[in-house]
Amino acid sequence: MKAIVVKGVTKDFGALPVLKGVNLEVEQGEIFTLLGANGAGKSTLINILTTLSQPTAGTVAIMGLDPRTAGNQVRRLMSLNAQATTLDGEFTGAENLSLIARLRGVKDVPAEINGLAQRLDLTSFLNRKVKTYSGGMRRRLDLAMSLLGNPQLIFLDEPTTGVDPQNRLALWQMIRELRDAGKTVFLTTQYLDEADALSDHIAFIHDGVIVKSGTPAAIKQRVTATYTLQVAPADEAVATATLGAAGIAFAPTEHGLSLTAKQAEPALTALLDAGVTVTHYDQDETDLESVFLNVTKEAAHANL
Amino acid sequence: MQTFNQLRTLTGRIIRQNLTNADTIITVIAMPVFMLLFFVYVMGGNIATTGAGGAQAYLRYALPGFLLLTMAMGSAYTSMRINLDRTSGFLDRLHSLPIARWVILGSHVLASVTFMLMAEALVFLVGVLIGYRADVTLSSALLFVGLSVLFGLGITLLAIPFSLKADNYASAGGFSYVLLMLLFVSSALMPTTGMAKPVQMFADHQPMTPIVNTARGLLNQAVAVSQHTEWLAVGWLVGAIVVCGFLSYRVYVRMFLTR
Repeated sequence: MKAIVVKGVTKDFGALPVLKGVNLEVEQGEIFTLLGANGAGKSTLINILTTLSQPTAGTVAIMGLDPRTAGNQVRRLMSLNAQATTLDGEFTGAENLSLIARLRGVKDVPAEINGLAQRLDLTSFLNRKVKTYSGGMRRRLDLAMSLLGNPQLIFLDEPTTGVDPQNRLALWQMIRELRDAGKTVFLTTQYLDEADALSDHIAFIHDGVIVKSGTPAAIKQRVTATYTLQVAPADEAVATATLGAAGIAFAPTEHGLSLTAKQAEPALTALLDAGVTVTHYDQDETDLESVFLNVTKEAAHANL
Repeated sequence: MQTFNQLRTLTGRIIRQNLTNADTIITVIAMPVFMLLFFVYVMGGNIATTGAGGAQAYLRYALPGFLLLTMAMGSAYTSMRINLDRTSGFLDRLHSLPIARWVILGSHVLASVTFMLMAEALVFLVGVLIGYRADVTLSSALLFVGLSVLFGLGITLLAIPFSLKADNYASAGGFSYVLLMLLFVSSALMPTTGMAKPVQMFADHQPMTPIVNTARGLLNQAVAVSQHTEWLAVGWLVGAIVVCGFLSYRVYVRMFLTR
């Protein structure tokens, strides 16, 4: 069974369409990242998936259940870690955890709190009032609150926004550990390195539509793979003329000739046939940032 | 059982927030006590109430009004707490948990009425310490508690739409000034007979006057209150509960359940 299945989901706020037919599937036990700029529709989709909001049209299944008819069953299986931490500053960390644990009907509250505190390295400040916590400590405590009651599906809405680099890496490790423990993690983020480092699957949402999805490697390969080709200095003029004659577009860079994936192989063949000495030919490392820019540019272009 | 435990947990959280917040304690308990002492010992002797003058006579007259004033001041914090839970995202967190929907605002309502009754009891105790003696039967005492519950419930339900709609914590409690104004321009702190005619006409016909007069009669058997006044008080309170309850429900459903 899939953890999440979304089919044709739209969401309008009055006359404003925010989601315009979203389709996606999330496997159990994976980290799925929804990547998009501010206002792309990430939080609206997460609100629908976590039963906080209802779609205008389309269907959602969470672990095979329809949130509209089995809301409480869905809420028992999942938890939401929202963008803003929802902690009570006047209460201690332990009291904040205890509150959510009791609301979730946790049987042995102290044992579960202590276990989570150890896992998330919260023990030393658990009995301090939350108003004395740093931003990173608050974020970790908030994450711990989301893990109470052993939810199978965890929604993390931009969990590292505003978190310093050290705590960010610590949160990444915790998110990986959740996946390793068999949990399904649905993550939204604006940070491309975060998505690249953590995700099993990524979907790009732009203007309310999923414009690309797949594994990070496949997306990078498919969308913006570029190749760099270097020729012997004596052959540069011949190489340029050969590619020009063959109608192959290329861009000279400081490293050599940059070619798209589609044109790389014909270019190599043409150059070798022309007797050019090729000294280097390889696919470039592609980062998600360039993928993201490419995808949003394509989507914007398609909307024109 | 789980639902009951959740209601108890959330209600306990809010009451604890109120009892550990200096601002709330000062506004809802210390301020009414200060006003009570000020009115009784500074102004009381100069205010002509029914019967004999003097501070003690004024205390006998005005304490029921101060008790309702205390509850009205508490309603500002009801509104601010709900607003803070909304703007901080805590209500969203609760909505993402397996909790019956009515428990979420129900806990705020229960906590609000309970906290108002606690504050009212404390101010009543101060009144007793400075010489107030209630003249009650068991039934009139219970009816007074019942009237207080209805009053607390009515103003709590009135607070909810403001709390949900207000942009921020500070503006959420603004509506309570209207309640305080209604209490000041009523028979709560002084008889309406000496007021300027148009003000007196307003005071005699607005809801607070029959409610305060009924409370006064229930705490002091010597004060004659007509059945008409009592039914008018109950009518105003039940009407407020029904209308404000409906409005609160509609605003809540629109903001959280059908968004």
